[in-house]
Amino acid sequence: MVDRQLFLHINWSILAIVFLLFVAGVLNLYSASAFRIGDGTAITPFFSRQILWGGISVLAMVAAMLFDYRHLKNISWLIYLVVIACLITVLFWGRTISGAQRWLDLGFFNFQPSELAKIAVVLITSVFLSKINHPLGFRDIMKALCLVLIPAYLIASQPDLGSALLLVFVMAGMLVYHGIKKNTIKTIIFTMPLLVPLGWIFLKDYQKTRLLTFLNPGQDPLGSGYHVIQSQIAIGSGGFWGKGFMEGTQSQLRFLPEKHTDFAFSVFGEEWGFIGSIILLFLFCLFLYQIFLSSEESKDKFGAMLCVGVFFYFFWQVLINIGMVLGLMPVVGVPLPFVSYGGTSLLVNFIMIGLVLNVSMRRYMFKS
Amino acid sequence: MSLFKEKSIFNEKFGAYFLIFLIVFLFCIFSVRLWYLQVYKASFFSQKAQDNLQRRQLIYAPRGLFLDRHGELLAVNEPSYSLAVIREDCPDIAATLDQISRWTHTPEDQIHDDFTRGRSMVRSFENQIIAANLSFDTLTRVETESPYWPGVKIVVQPRRRYLQGEVLSHVLGYVARASEEELLKDPELRLGDNVGKQGLEFALEKVLRGQKGLRQMEVDASGRILHEEVLDHPVPGQNIQLSVDLGIQQKAHELMEGKSGSVVVIDADAGQVLALVSAPGYDNNEFVFGISHQNWQDLLSNPHHPLQNRSIQSTYPPGSVFKLVMAGLAHNQPDIRVSERIFCSGSVTLGNRVFRCWKGHGWVDMTKSLVESCDSYYYQLGDRLGVDRISEFALNSGFGRPTGIDLPHERSGLIPTRDWKRQRFNDGWRGGDNFNLAIGQGFILVTPLQVARFVGAIANGGSLYKPSLLLDEKKVDPEPLPWSEASRNFVYQTMIETVKGDRGTARRLHKEGVIVGGKTGTSQVVGLLPQHLEDDPEAVDYWLRHHGWMAAFARKDDRTYSIVVLVEHGGSGSRAAGPVVRDLLDYLFDESHPFQ
Repeated sequence: MVDRQLFLHINWSILAIVFLLFVAGVLNLYSASAFRIGDGTAITPFFSRQILWGGISVLAMVAAMLFDYRHLKNISWLIYLVVIACLITVLFWGRTISGAQRWLDLGFFNFQPSELAKIAVVLITSVFLSKINHPLGFRDIMKALCLVLIPAYLIASQPDLGSALLLVFVMAGMLVYHGIKKNTIKTIIFTMPLLVPLGWIFLKDYQKTRLLTFLNPGQDPLGSGYHVIQSQIAIGSGGFWGKGFMEGTQSQLRFLPEKHTDFAFSVFGEEWGFIGSIILLFLFCLFLYQIFLSSEESKDKFGAMLCVGVFFYFFWQVLINIGMVLGLMPVVGVPLPFVSYGGTSLLVNFIMIGLVLNVSMRRYMFKS
Repeated sequence: MSLFKEKSIFNEKFGAYFLIFLIVFLFCIFSVRLWYLQVYKASFFSQKAQDNLQRRQLIYAPRGLFLDRHGELLAVNEPSYSLAVIREDCPDIAATLDQISRWTHTPEDQIHDDFTRGRSMVRSFENQIIAANLSFDTLTRVETESPYWPGVKIVVQPRRRYLQGEVLSHVLGYVARASEEELLKDPELRLGDNVGKQGLEFALEKVLRGQKGLRQMEVDASGRILHEEVLDHPVPGQNIQLSVDLGIQQKAHELMEGKSGSVVVIDADAGQVLALVSAPGYDNNEFVFGISHQNWQDLLSNPHHPLQNRSIQSTYPPGSVFKLVMAGLAHNQPDIRVSERIFCSGSVTLGNRVFRCWKGHGWVDMTKSLVESCDSYYYQLGDRLGVDRISEFALNSGFGRPTGIDLPHERSGLIPTRDWKRQRFNDGWRGGDNFNLAIGQGFILVTPLQVARFVGAIANGGSLYKPSLLLDEKKVDPEPLPWSEASRNFVYQTMIETVKGDRGTARRLHKEGVIVGGKTGTSQVVGLLPQHLEDDPEAVDYWLRHHGWMAAFARKDDRTYSIVVLVEHGGSGSRAAGPVVRDLLDYLFDESHPFQ
């Protein structure tokens, strides 16, 4: 199945960029896992676990490259339904960790079906859009929304607002990419303001506080504003050149919360400074650009939409995570791909890349 | 692009532009923000990060101690325990304050008010002292329960204790919690600090206080200390050795038990104050703890005004003590002879006013006038010399102006002049005013310390010293008493005669082997009383009785003391103040404790 031809067509630049991002992430995690005790330093086990997950994820990525992606068209619905089933299961039998029921215990590791849902939504939306050859009307959008709102609602009730929003945003991005009728766009723009207060009702109290805190972080500097303030102090105090690897006082002395997950970028910014942050940001942009190129080069619309879905999957995470860390967005639990600690998320990231590589390496397989 | 034909039914390029736009947007917005945080505001955030991990703590400097001239401790520092909060470490500040109010049995409102008022004066992550001087019971309770209250700390501060209490309260004064005003005025002061409010504690505040040290600690997010270093070592305040002799002070205090008044003992040859007593006294330790409202009201409403330092803050008519000045002035006049005599019939008439003498002395010359304290003689002198000469001479002899002692709020007293009277009463100086002035009554007011300094100058050969309370104080050249040597010696000898002579008014001061000179004085509170009451002061209402003065010097070998005692409402000087001076003389010349 894997012939030489295909191997040669692998988009090596994506792989190289992902490798760099992963290495940066692992190094950063090493620093973030360390904290000073007296005059010494201790390391928490996050770092080694992330490397282990990296290995598993690369295998998963290869697996996602092996078959012809066009087969996915046929099984997308199946995957989608399985994921919905998992999400329902997790609501009733899932493991609860720090107040949210997100994990399914598979014996050897805990699994988050919400991560799988992201793949499923990308797939199902690609299938859906590949069949439509005209700008989307109101009807099409309602259909698409139905597809995403079911898993999104289930995830939001875990509660994991970040992941739920991400699903909706990914799909929204794909729909806009595809093209929407002008009238429909107008309708949406006018109805949006009506939906905002409706959404407020569904938010949990802590989520409301987060939003309010974002609007005015000084209001509660030791409560929910603490994260954002400490994050900005960490990044700002890094200055132009940074404080150096393992030298960030904000992270080493644990003033930074969630420093190995959602606020990993703050650790990076503190230790590597403006220079390092810009390079990392540039790498992400390059990464997105490569995915964009893969979508442009793909032979069929399903492949192109698949790449666009993956594009948005990464784009939103980078935008929301770094935006939050820099104090430009409210605190929402969205990780920074490859940099934040998180096994399932890493796995899904690599599978997504596997799908993009799958599409791009098969770009010469059929004649136009 | 031709590859995209199959899906290019509508604007095929829109999607591509959209994605490129998003990538550029992402890069631009975040690089601008990163530049803002990491370059433009870098120093601001660096400072914030520093503030996060560095905490500074003051190290209290021990306040200088007070010792008497022999090295006896008078005021010391003891550890005292205060309750402080670090508000950044308190998860719930309101609940913590309520808990402190329960611990210390202080109303919640007061604790909350103190906290709100003080918080602006404390930097973040610094101790803010909420309750000072914890009792031992409170301390043990807090110590066991404080682990459940993060952010609550017990702080050890040195606290003042006055070993002699009221014996020295007017000299030492006291320290108490710095007021808001003082905190604002003096950047060195911190909330909860004590500062000198009265007496030497106030006057020597800068010397006694020393300088606080600073300790810098590196902490992690949970407040655990990782590293500690002392940036500034505290500089202890300077110890102060007083010229006061605790033995004499105690003795004088004891002799004034139950009386109101003042005792001043000065080493006449050096101007050093050996005892400065004002009775009644008060316990200055109460102020250190924070005096209770009740006790404060009691002190303020006490008719004997215990807070008043009578030696320097109360002024009295000098009475016959002023005759020393008058005699000195008269002796200086070329037209007045010592042997000149006048006849004292017991009163002098001026116009339709009768000025009485306390008895009929018969023929009186200058010496006898002083020894027997004849008023008639001085009425006549006052008339001849006039207010201008008298007041100028009195002023030069050290009256009517502060002596310059190192204590706050010293009063000048009053030497009346024509101008003064015109300004004060819109009235001219009259002949009768001269009469009153000549016997130290009427408008004239002096402090006991002024009298003691003056008598010291008579005894030491004419040097008006600035009375000093500090043993090692640099000697200031004394002011010369502007008297001729003959006049000074005349007064000096006559004072001795007043003690030695059979009819001398100060004869009860006579002490074998010691040269003692003295002069009594009685300052009238309500004018001269009828004769039968003059003889029996007990029959008069306390507040109407005269003040009794005794101004004396005593000399033996090379020691010369100037001793002044004033007893308020004690009746005549000889009767009220005489015994006190007498007992002091016995103490001073008791061979068992040699003078140094």
